Formats: sequence, structure tokens, C-alpha cells
Amino acid sequence: MGVTCVCQVPLAEGKSVQQTIDILHKKLEQLSAVKQGNFTVDCETYHATGNASGQPTKLLYVMHNSETPLSCLALFEGGPCLTADGNFDVLMIKLKSHFQNAKGHKVESRGSRYRYCDFLIKVGAVTMSSSARGISVEVEYCPCVVPGDCWNLMKEFMQSFLGPSIPELPSVFATKPEGLYVPADCVDTMTQYLELFSKVRKQQVLPGTTR
Amino acid sequence: MADAMNVGVNLEAFSQAINAIQALRSSVTRVFDSLKDGMKNKETLEGREKVFITEFQDNLQSVNRDLNELERLSTLVGRPSESHPLHNSGLLSLDPVQDKTPLYSQLLQAYKWSNKLQYHAGLASSLLNQQSLKRSANQMGASAKRRPKVQPSTLVLPPQYVDDVISRIGRMFPDMSIELFRPNGTSAVLLVTLGKVLKAIVVMRSLFIDRTIVRGFSENVYSEDGKLDIWSKSNYQVFQKVTDHATTALLHYQLPQMPDVVVRSFMTWLRSYIKLFQTPCQRCGKFLQEGLPPTWRDFRTLEAFHDTCRQ
Repeated sequence: MGVTCVCQVPLAEGKSVQQTIDILHKKLEQLSAVKQGNFTVDCETYHATGNASGQPTKLLYVMHNSETPLSCLALFEGGPCLTADGNFDVLMIKLKSHFQNAKGHKVESRGSRYRYCDFLIKVGAVTMSSSARGISVEVEYCPCVVPGDCWNLMKEFMQSFLGPSIPELPSVFATKPEGLYVPADCVDTMTQYLELFSKVRKQQVLPGTTR
Repeated sequence: MADAMNVGVNLEAFSQAINAIQALRSSVTRVFDSLKDGMKNKETLEGREKVFITEFQDNLQSVNRDLNELERLSTLVGRPSESHPLHNSGLLSLDPVQDKTPLYSQLLQAYKWSNKLQYHAGLASSLLNQQSLKRSANQMGASAKRRPKVQPSTLVLPPQYVDDVISRIGRMFPDMSIELFRPNGTSAVLLVTLGKVLKAIVVMRSLFIDRTIVRGFSENVYSEDGKLDIWSKSNYQVFQKVTDHATTALLHYQLPQMPDVVVRSFMTWLRSYIKLFQTPCQRCGKFLQEGLPPTWRDFRTLEAFHDTCRQ
């Protein structure tokens, strides 16, 4: 479990989601990265019912990651989070009276997984109710656990295949209580995905990209 | 066939002798055939007997003739020369089935290879002996017979002294913690944790560093039975590279008479890896080269270089 950065890549001019993903794959293969299978990250939204009126409905997000296939993560935006095993989904069904599944809001990112030296790169198409909404790129530098140490190194690597559209330091690292010098863990990765998915949900459907 | 064997063998006489054997066999066969056929049909009994006996005598005489011829030729054939004795291995070459059991040719190749190996090993040892490779101080290594059992003084140090030296070095550096274990006898095994960057396992032999292996901070240093795992390599290429460099360093820092200075220098060098992921290469200015950060630390100046950028 290394330092991970998740970012959204804008579409190349005049190209569709799939074409931009193909361009990224080609750039990675030019760097001699090796494809190592596929990955999936998905996020389901639950509305908490039974709140006192006047308060905004709290949203519970339940996320799964193919890197940790036996666990799932439940979190409130900006609030506490819980790591549980796969049976948590079944539990949520049993808790139907308290948490209602917003079925149309399921967002997922699916794509290929590449390995380059000690880096793991995942390029995925973000889809919401089977319409492609964008491209997510996750870069993980496995040997290092402290984000503050390797951020410049990761930026240099991302520049080599993403070109000018490199992201800034993820807010999840900047807002930690001890700053950048604490070990990163998988909750940070999922928080970044959650931010990306929330952004994608608020976006309009991209023109001409229904699939 | 084999040139070495036939110095005394007359090939002509040999082939003639083989022919003579065939002639002898056929004449003996004729004898038994005539006996089997019995008497031929003639008018009188005497006539039949006479013809039979004449034929029988002729056959026996031809057998006698052939046998004499064979004896004469056998004296001419001669003996295989004894000047190139191959003993048992030579017998392997006499009647092989070359396709299925090429034993003799493989045997020859094996001998040639081992002779070459011996020769090269001799050359290598004479070259290596020119420079002393002993890292420990030796007293009078000249006459091994007079002092066979004296160990170099620096190799036999009390474990308490080793513990003291290590703990003193551990206190020198605040961001580096050194834990000492003795899982197998008196050799110390150190677990050096450098900040949140890496963990190094250093196997010692009294105060000399024998071997080192470097793994990431998040990797497991213990094996399944709870002991320190001193053999498995790191999962990450960057730390495999750092392990190689650390091995180079422990061979570089040598001072036979003062091993504690050596350990201190090695630890100072290792400590420079606290900023493994933060420092760019001094030569090319970049962070990554082929996916690796600058893993080489110069032995004198402790500057960071990529493995391919160092002089």
C-alpha cells in the first residue's frame, strides 16, 4: 500500500472517452509499462432516512475496490468511515428501513491496470448509469508510504504520460492533522475516488458520449 | 578405428583372419550337413559307404586346413598397443550404441571441461591473491602450520562489547533506530529502521558486517514463524537496488584494525537514505530514471545519484 493519487483527466480535443483512454494506454506502453489485468472501483449512495426535518439528508457511500476484493468501505462525506468485509452489502439490504439505496446514483470506474517499475497505474472510464462521464487515472507509488516524501517524484512520473494536465496535491493529504508526513492508507485512496465521483455526478452529461 | 590402439595391429591380417573364420565356419557346417544327409543313393552298399567316407574325409580336411590358416593369421594380427592405456574408460568406447548411449564422447567432454576449469581456477586464484581481500586483521598469516588455531583478534570480541558499540551508534542518529537480535548463536543481527523510509537487516560477524538486506517500511521483516526474515528480497525494485548498493558499501568501508569505525561509517552512509524519495539526482537533476529514484549515495560526499548517472 503506497502513496496514491487519483485524478480526472480531461478528454483530448475532439476525441471520445474510449479514444482518450486508448491514447493513454499507448503512452504507457511506450514507457514499457506492463498491463496486469483490470480493475473496478464503484460507489453506491444511500440516503439516511428518519432524520429530523430541516436537517439535510446524510448520504452514506459504500465503495468497493478490486484491489481489496474482500472488503468494502462505508463513509460519510467528510465524516467517519468504516472498513468492513464483503457481507456489509447484505447488511445494508437488511437496513433498508434506515438507509435507502439511490439506485440511479451508482458510479463506477472500470479499466486496465498497468505496472511500471514500482508504480501501479490504473486508467478507467467513469460511468454513471451506463453513460461514460469521464476518465479517472490512479497512480500509486508502492514503496513509499509518506505522501510528503514522494509527491515531487510522482508529479514527474505523471508528467511523463499525462503531459501538461498533472493534478495538484490531493486535498486529502493536505488536510491531515500532521500534514504530509503521515503514512498513507487505503482510506485516502477511496476518499479521493469519492471526491472524483461527486464531481462527475454534478457534471452535465458529456455531449455525444452516451454509450 | 582408434588410431592410438592399432599401432601393433596389422589390419590386413585382421581382415584375412575374419575371412578365415568365415571359411572355417562354413567347412564345419558342411561336415555336419553331410553327416545329416547320410549316404547317397548308389547301386551297391560298398559304393555308398565309400562315397560317404570320402566326402566326410574331404570335409574334415578342409576344416583342418582352415583351422591352420586361422592359426597362422592370428599370430600375424598382433596385440593392441599398451602405450596408451585407457583402462576402464577405454573399454567404454569399444562397443557402444552411439545414438542412444554416447557415454564415451560425453566422458571425454567432461574431462576436457574439468581440466579447463582447473586451469582457469588456478589463474583466477593467482590474480586474486595479489590483493589481500581479508577484512579482518590477521596476525602473521605466513606460516599456517605453526599457528593453526589462532583467530584474528578482532573476530573474537565479547558480545557485550558488540552490544555497547551498536547502542552507542544507535544513539548518535535520532531518526534511525537499531535493534539487536541474536537468533543464531553469537552473531548479531541488527534491524535498522530509518524514519518511515526503509528497514535494513544487517547480519554481523562479531563487529564485521557480513550481509545486509534492505526492504520497504511497509514490508514485513518477520517470517511466518516469527523470526527475522534475513533472506527474502524486497518486493520493490528500488529497495532491491538499495540492497545491492548497501552490499557494495559494506565491502567498501574496510579498516581491519578498527571495526567500530567501519560500522559507524556504514551507518552514516545508510542514514543518507532518509531522503531517498525526496532528493533529485545531482547529475541529471531529475527524480526518476527508468522508474527509479536516485539510489546511489557517494561514499565520501553522500550525494545522491541515479545508478546510471554515477561516475
